Amino acid sequence: MTERWRLVRHFGGGPGFHMAADETLLVSGGREPVLRLYTWEPAALSLGYFQRYADVAATAEAEAVVRRITGGGAIHHAHELTFAIAAPDEHPLYRGEVRASYERVHAVIVAALFEVGVEARLRAEAALASDRQETGMCFHESTDLDIAWDGRKGVGSAQRRTAGRVLHHGSIKVGGDALEPGVATVQEGRPGTSPEDLAGVLEECFARLLEVELVPGELTEAERKRAESRAAHFTSREFLHRR
Amino acid sequence: MRPEDRKYTKSHEWVKLDGATMLIGITDFAVNELCSGNEGDLVYCDLPEEGRQLEAGETFGEIESVKAVSDLNTPVAGTVADVNAAIEDHLEILSRDPWKEGWLIRIKPVIKTLDGLMDASEYEELLAQEQH
Repeated sequence: MTERWRLVRHFGGGPGFHMAADETLLVSGGREPVLRLYTWEPAALSLGYFQRYADVAATAEAEAVVRRITGGGAIHHAHELTFAIAAPDEHPLYRGEVRASYERVHAVIVAALFEVGVEARLRAEAALASDRQETGMCFHESTDLDIAWDGRKGVGSAQRRTAGRVLHHGSIKVGGDALEPGVATVQEGRPGTSPEDLAGVLEECFARLLEVELVPGELTEAERKRAESRAAHFTSREFLHRR
Repeated sequence: MRPEDRKYTKSHEWVKLDGATMLIGITDFAVNELCSGNEGDLVYCDLPEEGRQLEAGETFGEIESVKAVSDLNTPVAGTVADVNAAIEDHLEILSRDPWKEGWLIRIKPVIKTLDGLMDASEYEELLAQEQH
């Protein structure tokens, strides 16, 4: 029997809501995995959970700033598609070492990029032209598991593991952005591609490669209420300046 | 075989009785899940203030590897009596010696019992199941 996943599309949601929705799916998303695809309105800079606010100069230029519950560097969510997958940690996608789970998730992302004409691959041992010192930006740092094309990083992702559940969320750069100069974008390989176009291809690849049925829907009433009640926390001064 | 002088949790913490207090840490399996043997992949660890009161199962800190942030949970209720501050600046200790030097917090427990937690052989069985 084909496994069923929930599919939630949130194109144009607010920064605080997006972070609260990801947190909600992490802590109370249920046993059925959830794939959430989203874009940001307004564009916002997200700080990694452990980053110091003062260490990221781009905070001064961003229209909005939030802090994530996941680690790593800051991301400016402007011309991109963001994806989030929440599931129990014993799910085959997430079982075992963190590294192995990244390889499974990133294999799907690489396949979707290939479908739209971008020859992406894992960075492996090669240094990237997008690597830069001390900007604090996720796309200016890279590991061997990061997805790159044309010698530059084009996808940044991170995980949170809590109480037997895992959230993996990530950013796929569709177009260029002044706050993240030098990164790879989908539109360089395939001009005119929109985040919504890419979302459709990504959905098809998740379904085909993981052999799952994606069932489109919304957050449940309880999830939506929780996310809405938590949204302000992620843009609050207290949380933004926790470090 | 993991040390038999302590008890283990399903979320890969260990607890060891030490006089009137208990030491809590994470197992070698937990460390390896986070960093796959690359000790440099562990980047941050937040531990609680001394004096904080914790319920059983409560999150007392967080640890970040290059790719994931994970909660640190206490299996026993009590008050944080001491914190291994060296860990926050030297996360490689967790890879090198998670059992002795790599303890995370010392708790003065509300009830001095480890009933309900797994012994080393039960924990080994759990790991064998998880790896299949």
